[in-house]
Amino acid sequence: MFQCVNSDCGACLNRRFYYVLFTAFLSCLLFGCAASETFNPGAEIVLVSREDGSGTRGAFVDVTGIRAEDSNGQTVDLTSIEAIIANGTNIVMTIVAQNPYAIGYISLGSLNGTVKALDIDGTEISVETIQSGDYRLSRPFIAATRSDVSLAARDFLNFIRSGAGREVIQNAKYVAVSDGAYEVTNGLSGKVVIGGSSSVSPVMEKLKEAYRVLNPGVEIEIQQSDSTTGMLNAAEGILDIGMASRPLKDSEKEALFPIEIAHDGIAVIVNRENPLESVSFDQVKAIFEGLALTWDDVSVAPPR
Amino acid sequence: MSEKSVKNPSQSGPAPKRSEFGGRLKAYRNDPLSGLIALAVYAAAALTVGFLLFILGYIFVKGVPNLNLSLFEWEYTSANVSLTAALINTVLMTLMALVIAGPIGIFAAIYLVEYAKRGNRFVKLVRLTAETLAGIPSIIYGLFGLLFFVSFLGWGYSLLAGAFTLAIMILPVMMRTTEEALIAVPDSYREGSFGLGAGKMRTVFVIVLPTAIPGILTGVILSTGRIVGETAALLYTAGSVAAVPTGFFSSVRTLSVHLYALTQEGLYVDQAYATAVVLIVLVLGLNMLSSVVAARLTRN
Amino acid sequence: MRVVFMLSALISVLAVFLICVFLFANGFPAIAKIGAGEFLLGRNWRPSNDLYGIFPMILGSLYVTAGAVLVGVPIGILSALFLALFCPKSLYRLVKPAIELLAGIPSVVYGFFGMVVLVPWVRRSFGGHGNSILTASLLLGVMILPTIINVSESAIRAVPRSYYEGGLALGSSHERTSLFILLPAAKSGVFAGIVLGIGRAIGETMAVIMVAGNQPRLPNGILKGVRTLTANIVIEMGYAAELHREALIATGAVLFVFILIINLSFTLVNRRD
Repeated sequence: MFQCVNSDCGACLNRRFYYVLFTAFLSCLLFGCAASETFNPGAEIVLVSREDGSGTRGAFVDVTGIRAEDSNGQTVDLTSIEAIIANGTNIVMTIVAQNPYAIGYISLGSLNGTVKALDIDGTEISVETIQSGDYRLSRPFIAATRSDVSLAARDFLNFIRSGAGREVIQNAKYVAVSDGAYEVTNGLSGKVVIGGSSSVSPVMEKLKEAYRVLNPGVEIEIQQSDSTTGMLNAAEGILDIGMASRPLKDSEKEALFPIEIAHDGIAVIVNRENPLESVSFDQVKAIFEGLALTWDDVSVAPPR
Repeated sequence: MSEKSVKNPSQSGPAPKRSEFGGRLKAYRNDPLSGLIALAVYAAAALTVGFLLFILGYIFVKGVPNLNLSLFEWEYTSANVSLTAALINTVLMTLMALVIAGPIGIFAAIYLVEYAKRGNRFVKLVRLTAETLAGIPSIIYGLFGLLFFVSFLGWGYSLLAGAFTLAIMILPVMMRTTEEALIAVPDSYREGSFGLGAGKMRTVFVIVLPTAIPGILTGVILSTGRIVGETAALLYTAGSVAAVPTGFFSSVRTLSVHLYALTQEGLYVDQAYATAVVLIVLVLGLNMLSSVVAARLTRN
Repeated sequence: MRVVFMLSALISVLAVFLICVFLFANGFPAIAKIGAGEFLLGRNWRPSNDLYGIFPMILGSLYVTAGAVLVGVPIGILSALFLALFCPKSLYRLVKPAIELLAGIPSVVYGFFGMVVLVPWVRRSFGGHGNSILTASLLLGVMILPTIINVSESAIRAVPRSYYEGGLALGSSHERTSLFILLPAAKSGVFAGIVLGIGRAIGETMAVIMVAGNQPRLPNGILKGVRTLTANIVIEMGYAAELHREALIATGAVLFVFILIINLSFTLVNRRD
């Protein structure tokens, strides 16, 4: 209503508005694309961890031993409280790719060129080094079922552990663990509901697609959540097969039969600008416990 | 700047030739505070629009090159991460939520406008609760849906649980827009109808409601926009299965949840950008539709 | 039919009732088990060790919301002034839909954008990790803009024209009149817009998770990360079981109480109008 008051000078207002808009844009661009930084080794290490309860974190903490028992005999996760918590692999990767001082860990299957994987104790991460056991940061992918598993689900598990399944798993950059025989049962039908770890989901999707080519009668539904929920739902019978990206806890083993379907490496990743190429196992531990605070601490001083 | 824009300087302020750019600057020299205010106002508006352009521009520049046909293939696989199923699910979810919330919202508005006495305690309570619903964040809806529809009623992660959760979420929008549309219907229409011997029910359904349809449509479009953009409320009610549902109790993922799922694992960043583009285009289209409807509304 | 209409109207009452019942009935037992003081004021959140203190998250939500208000309110009110009093009609037709669109962008998209653009920008320009209170505040500040702008604009437009004319007649410039006469006259409407914006900021989830850092400890600096109540729920809800799950629902209940308080103050502000 008021705008009609000065609509008679619309033209000049218009021009001025666009000018301001342009300047704002320009300054945005200038700020955003500020000159590239050189890596400063004295800078603080930026830790990126997964959320408490994620299979990746559970496995990482287990293997590296970033945990201790407190006075009550409870296991305490010692990951530094200052670590940024990212609830997804992509979020970890994005943060690390954009922050020269960041360090995080992800599944080998998700690793791509936007970040750099560090060698652990001089061993490069690869399917071969994980298989040979030289690369120490690895974890099992588990498919867990109750004892009253359906025919279709059992058949699918057989497929996963067969040579055909092995191929699918290896193509997805994971380490296959078995090489059994598999024969198509004619006329098999039914529905298999699978759920759990978001780390296992991608390879499970691929297995499902390969399996469905052979068994079009079997319907497979994959629900992505996380290891703990997957085990819980499988034990309750909501899922036919639960997926976990860590070894099962004792309480979970009571109700479920775990079957190892693959091995996955956990890559410790840093920004591509970071000159560091290799860390020791103990250094990884010191970094994530918050004991090594700057990159100088890692590359020069030996940990603790 | 041309002199011809000076038509009525006395109207816009004390300084002469105020509406001319140079004159205006001169006036600001005498009255720097006014100049400062003007600068702040323009800068703020420019910032707001700049944010929007920057966000849209960034997503489009990154996403459009990654748009390709494989994203729209019928069957979702981990290779194509097709969004077709998610798109269909979004449409289904929207339709179901609207089918549930639409009639309830419209009927509730009819009651508030046509039947209830003004200042009635019940009316006040309904208004208060509708306002409360409008202010509840989607994560709370998600939690409630999880506790009530998924667990308590035992529907599991399903289309139905998601649709009901969303229906409650959009109910206040439906109620408010319909209410406003009904109030805008001139009383003379009702009086005319009554005068011709029509009953209350007939008047409401044959005279008042059709006149209010553009307003109701605005509500429908606003609600659709909210549903399309919703993630937190659906994550815990509808689940994340990327397939076209086989029944009401199938778990489904809508486009927003699909985008969220894509950003979770590191494998599909390019596709995530492309999906974001599709999502924004959808929202953009809905917005345009709503302004077209709104324009028709004002013309009427 | 009248009964059907009435029942429909009753649904919204029923919905609020059910939400309250289910959130509180599932949340309060956990609070009782953990201890209200321990839960609300405890400073350690370590579910695997049965430590459930959400004080850091309460503070986190408050800080981030306050930051969003600091960012969003001045820009929002000034933009509302622009739309209501400074904007030529031709431009209005472009700017108004743009602001509607700003409201329509899904929060996942905001979060994604914040993660890839805002986080590195903050880190380069201000230092720190990038995932920080500042970043979350900036992003939320932008996200609450449409709410504040729309409500404030209609409030400013609702001020009687005579106020404006009176201001001019007393020799005040258009700008001064706008800021010092019209804006104060519209203050309760503007305030309602701010309250709505606060509600949106404190309840925002998906976008905040991606930029805030999510460390469950007391916030200790504007460039340090923080975890909000909403983030706490979404990050851990997926796999929480038993007491942990109940504690998260209780977190939701606490958030809900905050929202109810905000809603109530909104209603009060409106009523004074």
